[in-house]
Amino acid sequence: MTEEKAAPAGGSILVVGGGISGLTTALEAAEVGYEVFLVEKNPYLGGRVAQMNQYFPKLCPPTCGLEINFRRIKDNPKIKILTLAEVKKVNGVSGNYDVTIKLNPRYVNEDCTVCNDCVDVCPVERGNEFNFNMDKTKAIYRPFEMSFPMQYVIDSSACKGAECGKCVEACKYNAIDLNMEAKTINLNVGAVVWATGWEPYDAAKIDNLGFGKHQNIITNMMIERLASPNGPTKGEILRPSDNKAPESIAFVQCAGSRDENHLPYCSYVCCMASLKQTTYIRERYPDAKIYIFYIDMRTPGQRYEKFYKKIKDDENVFLIKGKVAEVSEDPDSGNITVVAENAVTGEKISQDVEMVVLATGMQPTTVTSKLPSELKCSDEGFIINDFEKGGMFAAGCANKPADVVSSNQNATGMALKAIQTLVRR
Amino acid sequence: MADKYLIEPDLNFVKKIVGLGGDTLKKCFQCATCSVVCPISPDNKPFPRKEMIAASWGLKDKLVTNADIWLCHQCGDCSTMCPRGARPGDVLGAIRSYAISEYATPKWLGEAVNDPKKLPMLLGIPVVIFIVLGLITGLLDFSPEGDKIAHSSFFSSWLVDLIFVPLAAWVAVVFGMGIKRFVNDIHNNAVLEGKTDKTKLEICGFLKALVKVLPTILKHSKFSECGENKDRATAHLMVFYSFLGLFIVTNIFFVVLYVFQIHGPYSQMNPVKWLANISGVALIIGSALMIKNRLAKTDQTSSYKDWYLLGLVLGLGLSGMLTEMTRLAGFAGASYFLYFVHLVFVFNLFAFLPFSKLAHFVYRTIAMAYAEYGNR
Repeated sequence: MTEEKAAPAGGSILVVGGGISGLTTALEAAEVGYEVFLVEKNPYLGGRVAQMNQYFPKLCPPTCGLEINFRRIKDNPKIKILTLAEVKKVNGVSGNYDVTIKLNPRYVNEDCTVCNDCVDVCPVERGNEFNFNMDKTKAIYRPFEMSFPMQYVIDSSACKGAECGKCVEACKYNAIDLNMEAKTINLNVGAVVWATGWEPYDAAKIDNLGFGKHQNIITNMMIERLASPNGPTKGEILRPSDNKAPESIAFVQCAGSRDENHLPYCSYVCCMASLKQTTYIRERYPDAKIYIFYIDMRTPGQRYEKFYKKIKDDENVFLIKGKVAEVSEDPDSGNITVVAENAVTGEKISQDVEMVVLATGMQPTTVTSKLPSELKCSDEGFIINDFEKGGMFAAGCANKPADVVSSNQNATGMALKAIQTLVRR
Repeated sequence: MADKYLIEPDLNFVKKIVGLGGDTLKKCFQCATCSVVCPISPDNKPFPRKEMIAASWGLKDKLVTNADIWLCHQCGDCSTMCPRGARPGDVLGAIRSYAISEYATPKWLGEAVNDPKKLPMLLGIPVVIFIVLGLITGLLDFSPEGDKIAHSSFFSSWLVDLIFVPLAAWVAVVFGMGIKRFVNDIHNNAVLEGKTDKTKLEICGFLKALVKVLPTILKHSKFSECGENKDRATAHLMVFYSFLGLFIVTNIFFVVLYVFQIHGPYSQMNPVKWLANISGVALIIGSALMIKNRLAKTDQTSSYKDWYLLGLVLGLGLSGMLTEMTRLAGFAGASYFLYFVHLVFVFNLFAFLPFSKLAHFVYRTIAMAYAEYGNR
């Protein structure tokens, strides 16, 4: 991206974050005819949605929806995609922002054909954070099967660099350049939409729930990866300690959410996520027993209520009103005992299960990586939309915890807000 | 819970609990974290989650008659882990305070003990009684003679016992009436809520259970199971044993005085005196530690009921030890004055025992014995 190609001042929209919200805002604005820059810090688009196995409540794979969006991007010359890009600074006022963007090197150019020869020769492995480090990739890798842009990428923190150079030799298309360097570019835009999304709350911070201490306690995002056909187990849900198919699983709702010691707010999606993940297990292991421990089941709206009722009627699913507050591990079997009080019967329950899934909530990304701009945020880090001031807006989970449907609606609205900023100038 | 239950909220009760240090109770959203993290809560009908909803709904009778509120030692694990900052430990403490007033007659005295505005009156009662009774009987001598300081020549031992022996009898009667109601109430509550396998309350079995829990109480082993506030157990143990020591000392000297007709002050070489001195020092250190702990703990609510009792205990210990020290130092006037102050503290602690927070030693002991008896 060079200066000459940049849109005239105020004429374009910057969208920060290439997850489902950012994609939606970018596409909606671009399809109306506005020039959009979509900046994504990862080497791929799709964000958290790309890591999901299925959407709720329709239980269709998110890759399907992403594919349509990627198609729309390819067809639309108004959208400029910048991956591996970080917004460093935003100065200016509504209608006229100067934006500094750092482009990190991918080390692989557009000539890459995804032939995999480079991966075969690469001698270094790295933890695969896309799969929450449950497996490894080579230092040169493809984030996932249908990652967009469809190009390999090198993790510079793992790669040995020019002294190795095996991939460069192996590449028949001269697509690898280990000397690629970071670049800084400047853009002038009229409106900015922050779709910086969310991160799973760090479950290790929840002392009494044993994540990180006991192997067979995983998070809800990890089970999404386990259930995904492109995940570390190719879609088999196996418990980490011995790769056994678990015969009993407990879901711990509000793991760190609605908790003043962690995230004081409801993360909105975790109840539906656990119910959805229950279907993953039921589908694979029809005899497995599933225990869902909750404070309140929050399944708002008719469709979600219907979904909840269906799961509730399942004879192998047990819903217990009571938050798990204690876990312990049997060191021989690796089984976990979760303890909760059933608030309906007033009995303390110690349930032995083979695997535990913590329904951890979402924390806005802005908490861990500070925004390079003056924006009003709530105490929890969600960006508060200041429509009075205008010019910059937050979409999706940067604004509040939300499911994909709400994020998309919200993102569409923010596209309109951004367009209005340009038109009113 | 499946049975129909008509809720009759007592809003005044909720207000009282809030005022007694349970101001956070409405924050509870019934997640039951507290019942699980509590290290001493039983598996069947654990506390304090059910107490939190009952308090929130103003179900006074369900709570006052509930022995579980006494099984809690307020270690604060529940309050630390509470996701809402609802502080169940403090709420149960407030309910206990309310229950003490409920079981003590006359009620107005219970209310006065919990009311800071009534403090001058409570301190004034013994002053008036001492002076009036002392002047009528002539047992109070404001210009005692003799070069040796003997407190009985200022405030006659006869006068002390003339006041404190009937007082002891009164305290015993008040407690007796309260205990009778309390035991029946907690039994009925336990049967109703399915917390016991006993249907009838047998005195013999209950007393056996009482004997069985005594070692637990003496060792404070339940208190030490509590996690968050473990340091509190030491201070409490010190105060507990110093009271026990002083109780023994008082009884021995009572016998020495009336049976053997030997008047004090007694020699510092006397082993009973050692016990008295050790207890006195332990009382001061223990209560000072308690005050320090409470001041340092910003996350634990301390209300007037706590400060009243701690102030009394520290005042009792300090005035007692200073009386002895000024006597040994030969400051007659100061020593007599301090002795008078000391007796005012003793009176307050003693006469209002069934009404103040200190009554917990009776109710908690009974509740623990009942839990043992009823296989809780």
